[in-house]
Amino acid sequence: MSDTLIELRNISKFYGNIIALTGVSTTVNPGEVTCVLGDNGAGKSTFIKILAGVHQHDEGELLLEGEEVTFSSPRAALAAGIATVYQDLAMVPLMSVWRNFFLGAEPTRGFGPFRQIDIEKAKQIAKEQLAEMGIDIRDTEQPVGTLSGGERQSVAIARASYFGARVLILDEPTSALGVKQSGVVLRRIVEARDRGLAVIFITHNPNHAYPVGDRFVILNRGHSMGNFAKEDISQAELTQMMAGGAELEALQHELATH
Amino acid sequence: MAADTAGGADERLAYRGPIQQLLTRPEIGALLGLAGVWLLFWLTSEAFGTAGGTANFLDVAALLGIMAVPVALLMIGGEFDLSSGAMTGATAIFVILMSREVGELGGAGFSLHLAVPLSLCFALAIGWFNGTLVERTSLPSFIVTLGTFFILIGAKLGFGKLFTNKVIVEGLDEAQGYEFWDDIFGAEWIRNQHIWDGRDWAWAGLLVLAGVALLLGLLEMSYTRRADPPPWAAAGAFIGAVAVPLFGFVMLLTTDGTASNWLGGAVIAAGTLAGVATWCASRYEPVQRRRPSPDNRTMRMIGLGVGAVVVAVVLALVMDATNSDQLGFLGGGLGRAVFAIGIAGTGVLAALAATGHVRSSAPVIGVIVSLLPAISFMMTIQAARALLFGGLAVAGVVALMLVTARADLSLWLPMATAAIVAIAAFVVQAESASRKLRVELFSVLLLIALALAATAAARALAQRRSTAVPVPQMGLWPRVGAAAGGAAAVVFAVIELIDGDGLLYALSTGAAKGGAIALGIFAVGTFYRLLFSSDEGMGRPLVTVGLAAAGLALAVKLMFITTLEEEATQAVTRFRVSVLFYVLFAAVGAWVLAKTRFGSWTFAVGGNKDAARSVGVPAARTKTTLFMLVSVCAWVAGMLIAFRLNSVQANVGDGNEFRYIIVAVVGGNLLTGGYGSAIGAAIGALIWGMISQGIGFARWNTDWRFLVLGGLLVVAVIVNNYVRQRAERSQAARGDPDDDEPPGGDAGAADESASAGAEP
Ligand SMILES: Nc1ncnc2c1ncn2[C@@H]1O[C@H](COP(=O)(O)OP(=O)(O)OP(=O)(O)O)[C@@H](O)[C@H]1O
Ligand SMILES: [Mg+2]
Repeated sequence: MSDTLIELRNISKFYGNIIALTGVSTTVNPGEVTCVLGDNGAGKSTFIKILAGVHQHDEGELLLEGEEVTFSSPRAALAAGIATVYQDLAMVPLMSVWRNFFLGAEPTRGFGPFRQIDIEKAKQIAKEQLAEMGIDIRDTEQPVGTLSGGERQSVAIARASYFGARVLILDEPTSALGVKQSGVVLRRIVEARDRGLAVIFITHNPNHAYPVGDRFVILNRGHSMGNFAKEDISQAELTQMMAGGAELEALQHELATH
Repeated sequence: MAADTAGGADERLAYRGPIQQLLTRPEIGALLGLAGVWLLFWLTSEAFGTAGGTANFLDVAALLGIMAVPVALLMIGGEFDLSSGAMTGATAIFVILMSREVGELGGAGFSLHLAVPLSLCFALAIGWFNGTLVERTSLPSFIVTLGTFFILIGAKLGFGKLFTNKVIVEGLDEAQGYEFWDDIFGAEWIRNQHIWDGRDWAWAGLLVLAGVALLLGLLEMSYTRRADPPPWAAAGAFIGAVAVPLFGFVMLLTTDGTASNWLGGAVIAAGTLAGVATWCASRYEPVQRRRPSPDNRTMRMIGLGVGAVVVAVVLALVMDATNSDQLGFLGGGLGRAVFAIGIAGTGVLAALAATGHVRSSAPVIGVIVSLLPAISFMMTIQAARALLFGGLAVAGVVALMLVTARADLSLWLPMATAAIVAIAAFVVQAESASRKLRVELFSVLLLIALALAATAAARALAQRRSTAVPVPQMGLWPRVGAAAGGAAAVVFAVIELIDGDGLLYALSTGAAKGGAIALGIFAVGTFYRLLFSSDEGMGRPLVTVGLAAAGLALAVKLMFITTLEEEATQAVTRFRVSVLFYVLFAAVGAWVLAKTRFGSWTFAVGGNKDAARSVGVPAARTKTTLFMLVSVCAWVAGMLIAFRLNSVQANVGDGNEFRYIIVAVVGGNLLTGGYGSAIGAAIGALIWGMISQGIGFARWNTDWRFLVLGGLLVVAVIVNNYVRQRAERSQAARGDPDDDEPPGGDAGAADESASAGAEP
């Protein structure tokens, strides 16, 4: 499967006078996991926010199935089947788990002016989806603000993987997770890939990236350092590139001599 | 109330009883405030508690509430609208200018059939303008709508004078189509014209239904059901809880005089107690653990409670003169001296507080002292009595109820407490000089005694619930009820319309009759399920029935007059159609917030706008819609004002925007957005109406009106905040809230905002 789903050509993004991305190009294929790697501030989140419709690119072209598009809002991206786990999780702390889960896409019943949320159904689905993530929530009425950090991240991941029909974007989804839940997330990524979804996965952990990734996009200070297929790069090389190379070696050396 | 978790309960969740559930609602502070304020003025004034008094404060509350509800929604969505007050007046002036004859200084000369919809478009345009500007510029809505506010007051005066050369725009009643629109916006319900001698029977019957349903609902929520109920259970309970009290009511209603009052009261009490005891013994798991004997602290609290009740009763007997002179004991030199001492004390205490010698709240004492002379002139003797008496009685009863509810005491203590309250009731009944205290206070005290005794009996007999149960599906009952009620409402309304009665009359009688039918069917279904199915979790439906019956009882009592009353009164009581809009808007607001996508989005854009947008909420559209909602309601309020007054002053409505906001805050809405309730805002409006009118009813010196109003509102907000923080603390026991959580969070917040009606 390699008829390209999304193609980015020379995408640039400026925040006022801050240049966050310049001339980044890559392709995202269905049935593949694309890992976006890079240092802090490299522009990874900016990159995926353009795909998610949160920001719009200032230069370059974004092609969805060969046609040029600009997602004017996250709602538009969601409508195109692109769901995202944001780095800040995008949760409303005062609202309950099930409301956060379905926010923006609530299931409804009734018709016309009497249309209302199907609360029972929503609660049930939320509970099931979370259980599949290995998170057993006590009460889906609990406000998200009172969940633990990992539980909150799991809610965000469960939400995205429930709604992502074609593309699933995960921005450091495992940063707060326990070993078991991280494993679950990696397995879900693979499952989603096998179902034919395109997955975009951002992480700082090469041990997570290398096993699941099919392609690697490495960003540094807003520039693309290259696209690599898995065959073309070893885990050690990858780790080195992610850390900007020399510095990590120096550190390893330093630590070894102590 | 969070009892209905999907897929059953989780063992890691502590069960919260009905009272605890109530305490986590955002509008709980407002509800308590409402009860307190009503009690205060009811005790202080003869007229306040009557239908006339009620019509009076409802009128104020309605115009306020119609706006407070959408303003609360907007606040939950994280924005303010400072132009909302001026907008009400602007739409009123707009419609008059549009409909005035074209003349030398005339208006547009449109028929009202055109002018009224035009004014709606005008309002929508303002709302759209506000919303779009806020969204486009990302400026605080505070600034943007302040601009709109000035534009509107300028336009009102400017155009008003341009067309009419006066600051007052008049002559709506000469416009074409006036009759038709006046029938909608100017309608009134004149109580004296609606005589119904069966009213008191309906009232009493509905009250009994309400009492039984609420009592059973609370029991059902509190105790665990046993697996094998003995067969005599239901019959015994029915006779006890329904038949005997009904008999007592009949006795009270059909006979006159003290002796039968005694007897009726005693029969109701005995029957209810027996019913509760039978019901609890037969339906719920029996208690297992032994009850400890009370500790010293409990005994002290009981002592204080009983003492307060006794002193209150003595006060009631000694002081119930209907003296409406001012207290005025701190006049002249003495008053000035007290004032000076208070001010000086404030200064000294403030200095001490600043250096850390006394607590930082100490200066408040000085302020209170300095206010004493003013208070002494503000209050009548009657009011002071009421305050003292009411305060003591309420404090005493609350202390007793807390003790009996908290400590798992042996049965005799709560029973003795109940007996003391009952004796107090009978003493007041026999000895008091005022009719009000004899009749009404007697009933209230007796009810409290009854509640205490019933609680104690239930606690002694039944095992408390430890797990939550989901509310069972009610099957066809609610749907059949709603369908039949709705159909009946339409039929009755059409019949009345054909009879040539006004629209308001047709609508309200239709609604009342349809509502009664729907309630009846739903109640039958609920009781049927309660008695003949093995469902647990019937508490919620029962409470729904109880509240609806109580509401209907109140409506019946307020809407109709009996022949006897009609002959005895000269005053005409009228309810304006604004009350209908008020109730409707509050109900719709609550429904929208709790059940619809738009409601969810409102909470989300107020709670975390960026997150809401990121996950696909159309944030800009939601906010703009909220602004437009405010402007539509401002249009309704404007029409109500225009058709009531026929001529509108240029400054009508200016400054009200802050009232809407404070009323919403009193109702438990968070100023920073993301949390709140529409019902709360409606209750807040009611509190405002009661206070502002009650001061007049109580014949307090009205020069001080705003001082009292301000003070009481501050108290209301503080109480509100306190209650919410307490609720949160009990909530926090469940999970460890992160430090990045905004203040004022609460579970159950975002969920349903107490929708009073049955689920459709
Ligand atoms: N809204 C914004 N306004 C201005 N600058 C921004 C904005 N968002 C991001 N930036 C800047 O753009 C650069 C890239 O940020 P981005 O969040 O994409 O980094 P990242 O690769 O996701 O980093 P991390 O690994 O820490 O998550 C940073 O230098 C950041 O300061
Ligand atoms: Mg990032």
